[in-house]
Formats: sequence, structure tokens, C-alpha cells
Amino acid sequence: MKPITRRTFLRTTAAAAVATAAVPLIPSGCVSPGGKDSSGYFESEFGITDGLCQKVLSKALSKGGDFADLFFEHTISNYVILEDGKVNQAYSSVALGVGIRTVNGEQVGYGFTQELSEKSMLAAASTAATIADSEPVKSADQFVSLENKNYYPLTTLLTSIPLESKLPLVQSVNDKCFALSPEIIKVNAGFHDKQKRILIMTSEGTKAEDLLPKNYLWTNVVAEKNGKKERAGWNIGGRREFSFYTPSLVNEVAKEAVDRVLVLFEADQPPAGEMPIVLGPGVTGILLHEAIGHGMEADFNRKKISTYCTMIGKKVAEPFVTIIDDGTIPYLPGSLNVDDEGTPGQKTVLVENGVLTSYMHDKISARHYKVKPTGNGRRQSYEHYIQPRMRNTYMLSGEAKPEDVIKSVENGIYVKDVSNGEVRIGAGDFSFYVSQGRKIENGKLTAPIKDINIMGNGPKMLRNVIMVADDLQMAKGAGGACGKGGQAVPVGFGMPTILVKSMTVGGVKS
Amino acid sequence: MTMNKEMYNLTEWSIEISKSAGADDCRVGISKERFVEISYRDRKPENIKEASRRNLFIEIFVNGRYSAQNTSDLRKESLRNFISNAVEATKLLAKDPFRTLPDPKYYKGRAELDLGIRDSAYEQLTPEERHNIVRAIEDACLTAGGEKTISVTATEQDRLGESVVLTSNGFEGYRESTFYVMGAQMTIKDEGDRRPEGYNYVVSVLQKDLPEPKDVGIVTAKRTLDLLGSKKIKTETLPVIIENRNVSRLLGGFLSAMYGSNIQQKRSFLANKKGQQIGSKFFTIIDNPFVVSGLGSKLYDGDGFTTKKRTMIESGVLKDFYVDWYYSRKLDWEPTTGSPSNLIIPPGKRSVKEIMKDLGRGILITGFIGGNSNSTTGDSSVGIMGKLFENGEPVQTIAEMNIADNHLEFWNKLVEVANDPWIYSSRHMPSLVFTDVVVSGV
Repeated sequence: MKPITRRTFLRTTAAAAVATAAVPLIPSGCVSPGGKDSSGYFESEFGITDGLCQKVLSKALSKGGDFADLFFEHTISNYVILEDGKVNQAYSSVALGVGIRTVNGEQVGYGFTQELSEKSMLAAASTAATIADSEPVKSADQFVSLENKNYYPLTTLLTSIPLESKLPLVQSVNDKCFALSPEIIKVNAGFHDKQKRILIMTSEGTKAEDLLPKNYLWTNVVAEKNGKKERAGWNIGGRREFSFYTPSLVNEVAKEAVDRVLVLFEADQPPAGEMPIVLGPGVTGILLHEAIGHGMEADFNRKKISTYCTMIGKKVAEPFVTIIDDGTIPYLPGSLNVDDEGTPGQKTVLVENGVLTSYMHDKISARHYKVKPTGNGRRQSYEHYIQPRMRNTYMLSGEAKPEDVIKSVENGIYVKDVSNGEVRIGAGDFSFYVSQGRKIENGKLTAPIKDINIMGNGPKMLRNVIMVADDLQMAKGAGGACGKGGQAVPVGFGMPTILVKSMTVGGVKS
Repeated sequence: MTMNKEMYNLTEWSIEISKSAGADDCRVGISKERFVEISYRDRKPENIKEASRRNLFIEIFVNGRYSAQNTSDLRKESLRNFISNAVEATKLLAKDPFRTLPDPKYYKGRAELDLGIRDSAYEQLTPEERHNIVRAIEDACLTAGGEKTISVTATEQDRLGESVVLTSNGFEGYRESTFYVMGAQMTIKDEGDRRPEGYNYVVSVLQKDLPEPKDVGIVTAKRTLDLLGSKKIKTETLPVIIENRNVSRLLGGFLSAMYGSNIQQKRSFLANKKGQQIGSKFFTIIDNPFVVSGLGSKLYDGDGFTTKKRTMIESGVLKDFYVDWYYSRKLDWEPTTGSPSNLIIPPGKRSVKEIMKDLGRGILITGFIGGNSNSTTGDSSVGIMGKLFENGEPVQTIAEMNIADNHLEFWNKLVEVANDPWIYSSRHMPSLVFTDVVVSGV
């Protein structure tokens, strides 16, 4: 379906509203579809004019500083949840506010308010201004609207989809799970949709608006076999529209969850110790994100916390390894038309043919390194500071065949899925829980494994990637979020099948 | 404590609006919070943040159906539409006969205690004092770290919050509380390109209960310097001591299986274990909501139930679960309370040092990394860091290692509780000693 213009959209949704008279849990206050088409929302809904923003920015720079910015946000989130066979719970939330930041060198003053009145905003700006202590700085005379591409064009807003349409979707996941196996004894399922509207006004004269959707369909299942119980789950989503959630996608979510739980009855913990690890394609990209990606975020390097702080232009991996952080992949959860400080969405090559080429920058780190910001300035909400954060991070495909990667391992572990990752940026140490995987014995996948951790050191792991297959997959889920400094933001990740020479597998069998 | 009239009135008004929109019952709460956060790096402020936030939540019960919403937009006009829409939308959901407000008998008998959770000195804390606290933390940390120091970020945060909760069947609750955090994060130079990072944070309801800022900085530096020269050692079965401040993280996986929701949804390995021995005789947990100035202290819970002191586990025997009103109805059990308050493992008699001497060789775990605990099966696996000790003395820093076990096995390996409860948390846990633990490494 072709993306429609704001004007066409307004017409279409107005007609639809009359025809259906249905009630979404929290309806959208406005109906523009996203990206550059979302212009004017905060002015029409909340009276936020350029003149008012100039006044607030002047206050934020009243004691000096390099620049200031305003981040307006109006977010609507809806959840419908099924438990014990019925869609009988619904939750929703509304977040409205503005965050005001004054930047003075590498120092940040920050205030926010949930009242979008001039008085409240000026008070928050006064708080932000306290970070500096010199002469007032003038803000730009006028704002220029940022014209950016739209990586998540929508034909219909999720918040305008009636609740009645979401209920059967969730119910069908439940029914499908039970139909797939008599061993399923409990199913939880749900659909989450979030619509975040933002407006960024900077003292340098940038005005950027966006509408960021995020949604996913999920299920968690419990199965029982021979008196033992296991649980597993799955979700699929992104910055999608409702038509994405087809019956075939429902089947995929249900089948993956059921397959994942049933295999656990056959699974055991492998012997503990050091061994070669094959990471399967797709969701194992979370390991790349955590163990390696965070160390390439520029704030950790600017502060010399990351081991990569002296490695720009140096070899960090074999020549067949290229790593990219990309905000431009359509509909993925980490894609951004514009970042949260007004830098257009873009793609950043972090490691090219084994050489570290760039960090991920926000404006502060870009000024520090005298480079252009890379569009990685992100925040959880108007209540939070900007930090350099990943978007969709992946390793490019190599030339090996996945089956050859497995064949090359005599005794090791094949990791299909990992979760609960944690990394210590400076030391580089990380630990991940393997939720799905198999042993590799004599070059073949054998018994399934469960409930183990793999541990290692990020930079060392990257150096130890000795094979990369040609099967890059991006993870399909959108249920998780990346946490850093107390802030969660949606991200995507991907990976081809790779072989890591050696990592530690934790288990109960020594 | 005097109820905030403005918040009370808006809460009451919201109940009226939801009832007039067709709700049979509802629970409404409004919270307000004022907070300040200051951090320093390189001996100057890195971030200064100050703001107020407020929020309204409403749970709606209509025609046997249920939904919950929250919003930060408290303008009456917006709220009226928000609540009316929510009531209409709730009518579209499937019926759930178990969703009701609690029987008001559970609201009765609230203790008439001052929990001491509101610091009367809060308003006296000046911006200059806040900056002095952070400077003192940073300065002590930099001094103690010496030449090894790469980066130190010191922090002070404080909050004053209040909340009102009312239900349409007669519950009224109000609380005012304060909360302080001090801490620092430090990165140091190690061999090769390793840059270990350590941290130390303390949390308290009253400012006077916090340690001296300089001590926070010194401890941060000590904990970070302790990470120098780490390596993984051979996989081995050893006694381990889990340091007091890290016990809570390990216990979290166990506690999740004690929740009514997980029991009813068949996700609990403890579901049929009430009254049974699930750990060694050293394993006792008391849930005490009445600890004076406790971070988890409360007179009523999320359902509005009057809180009680409860022994959850006694000498290894599982005595009770966390069962809220909704899941008690689904399980057809008597409800207890939906979530923990202050959790206490009664301290033992000996210090960690004395215990290490006795054990001879083992591992002192000073941090966890990653990991997972499966509430359905009880299987748990987590990365560890800490010290290998021999003859009671630390001999090697360890990292990239792991422990894994089933909770039902693991808590039976608890052989001693140390005398050092960690008081800067709602979980007052002393260091715990376990035997025969497989520690995976090389």
C-alpha cells in the first residue's frame, strides 16, 4: 500500500471514525501519519509556537552555554492482554511533557515539565540554565524545519484501530497455541502499540518533528510433559502498522513459542568450560549489541571508559567482519527518521573489514571528536538526558555457508537465542543466558541445551570471530528494549551465523 | 501526616467521573514527586537535573470487566475524556469474574504507626549542600584511586514524593516519603586494554542514615581497585560466599516463584511446596513492613490491604506466598499481600573474614553479571566476579565465571549466614555461605 499524505489521511480517518464509531482504548489526539507529515501537531494540539520556543530557549541560554534544545513528547501506549483463554485485561498510558537541555561544553543542565504552559517551561529552562555561568547566548532567529526521509510510513495509525480489531488478533494466538500441542497448559498473549510524537527545537534553529510507532504481538506459553513444566515465548513487531499482523504472522508467533517450549523437555545443561561457540543468525545479534556495540558508543570513549577509546583506525577484528548501526531500515524498532536531538536518521559503519571506523555520536561527543553527529542521540522520554545509543546493529554477511560453520566445530555449542545480557563496558566482560541452543558434536547439531550462560570478553570475542556465514538475518521481535543509564529505548539487531573460537560456558557439570 | 487536599479532591473527582461514565467500581491514585539529581566528573558538574512529575492511575471495573490506565496529563478536561473513553473501552473486553475491588474487610485494622519514611529535614537540603556532597564523593574516590584512575562519576539524588489512593468501596490511603541516593562509578587502568569499572551506591529514606560522602567515594575506589588483574580460573566445585549487597539479586529469582500470579499461571517451581523444606535450616526470610525508615515500609499494599509482618520462610520451610486479591480469587486461596515490603534474613554471628578463615579456600562473590532464573523450573545461571581466597586470604580476582544450579538444590547448600546485613536497601540481606557450588571457568 502506498503511503498517503497527511491531507488524504485526515480525510480517510475522519470518514472511518464516523463509519465505525469504535473506541480505541486511548484514541489518538491527532491523525497525521508520521515522519515529515507529522508537522504542526504540537502547535495545533498544545499551542507550541516558534515564538514561544524561542523565548524558552533564550531562558535556557540566559547564563550562557553552547546550545540548548527542547524536546516535546506526547506518547500514547495501549496493551491488551489475554490470560486463561480470554482477552480480559487492557492497560494504557499517556505521557505528555517537554524536556529542556542546556549544554555547556560536556556539561548538561536539564529540567522538564508536564505542563506545557509558558510559565512552567520557563521555570524548567531556568533549571537547565544553571549549568552555565557566563553571559547570555542568543538563540537562532528562526527555525528551519528538517526535511527527512520516512523509514516507517504508515497508512493508518495504530491508535485509530478500534479495540475490537485487536481483541480477535490476541485471541487467535491463544487458540493457535493450544491447537498446536496438547502439552500446552497455559497461554498468555498480548498486543502492544505505542505512538510517540516528538518535536525538537534547537537554539541552532533546527525544528524536527516525528511520529514513531512501535508495536508487537507476543505470547508466553507453559507446557507440561511427564510431570515437568517448561515455559517459552516469542514476539514479532516493529514500527509497523496493523495490517502487518496477518493470520500467517499469528501462526508464526504461536508456532515459534510452542516449538521453543517443547524442545526444552529434551534439553539438558552441557558440561561447563571453555569451548567454540557458533552463534545462529538473527536474534543472537543481541550479543553483538551488548558485548561489542555498547563499547562503541561515543560517551564511553570520550570518557575513556571503553577499551575502544584508542582504537579508531585500528584492527579490532578479522577482515571479513563489518559491523553497522543503522537507523534507516524500514519498520525496524531501532529505525529513526530523526534522532532525539534533531539529527537526521542515518547509517553508520562502525567496523569496516575488521577496522574500527566510527563511534556512535550524539552532539556532545561529536563536538568532542570534531566530527558530525551520527544520529545516535536518543533518550527514553522527555524526562531523560540524551545519550549516544544504538539503533539497529548488525554484522554484515560473510562468505561461508552456515552448514560449513557448524561442520568446522568438533565439540562446542550452537546458540540459537540469548537473553538477559549484561556487559561491563571497560573490562569488556559480558554474560548471556542461552535460552535456546544445541550441542555441536563432530560437526553436527545434536541434543538441545538450556539454562546456561555464556561468558566472555567483548573485544576478545570480536577478535575471535573466525568464520562469518552468508545468512544475515535481522531479529523480528520488538518486545525488548536496550537499557543504559536507567533509560530504555527500542533497538533492533541482526547477525549472520558466526563462529567464535572460544568462550566460557557455565553449567552445573564440571 | 495530613492528606494533600488538592490531590485528594482530584482523586475523588476522578472516581465520580468514572462512575458517572458507567464504571461499577474504580481505584484511583495520584502521585507527585519532586526530585534533584547532580553528578560530577572531572571536578565539575556533568549533569544537573531538577523537576517535578505527577501521574494519575485509574483501575476501572465495569460489567465484570477490567482495565487500568495512567496519565501525566492531569488537566480536568483531558482527564474527563480520558476516563470516559477508558470506561467505554473496558466494556469491550471479555468478562473476568475474578476482577473486583477487594472485600473491604481487608482494609481494616491499619496500624497507627509513624513509619518514619518522610525525612522532616528534606527541605533543609540546599543546592550548595548537594554540590558539596557530590564533590566530597568524587574527591575521595579520585584520591583513593590514585594513578590507576581513568574516570569517576559521582552522584547525589534526592526525592520527595506523595501519593493518594482512593477506591469506590471505601479505601483511603496517603503516604509521603523521601529517598536519597549517593554513589559513584569508577573506571581504572588494568593490564593490557582492560579498564575495569566498579561502583558503590547507597540508598536511604533519611539523609542522616547515609554514610559520610567521603566514605562512599573511598569504598567505590576500593571496590574498583579490587577488580584489578582479574582472570578466570579452572572450573571447580568450591564453597562460595555471596557478599551481602549481592544476595538480593540472587534471591529475586527465588522470590518470583512465590507470587500468586506465577503459581496460578503454572510458572512456579514452589507452587506445591508450602509447608515443605525447600532450603537448609539457615534459610529464613521475614517480610516486615513496619521497619522504621525502611525503604520498603508501608501500612497498606497495592490492593489496599492492611500490611502485616510475615515469616515467609522459616528454617528452610516455605511458610507463605505473595498472593494478591485477584490471584487469590483465581486460586481460591486466602490472599496475603501482592508484593514484598522489607525482606530480612536474620543475621548470623560471624563476620565474612572469620568465615573465610574457616573455609580456607573458596570464592567471595562481589558481583553478578547477566544470568537468568527460571521461575517455572527453578533453574538458575548467572555470571560472577569476585575473589578466590586461600587460607582465608584473597589470592586472585576472578571474572568471566559462572554459577548455575536449581534453586531447590542451591538453598539447601546454605551453611551459614554472616553478621553483616546490607542496610541500604529494602532487602536487609547479610552475606551468605554456600558449599559445593560448581564455579565454571576455563
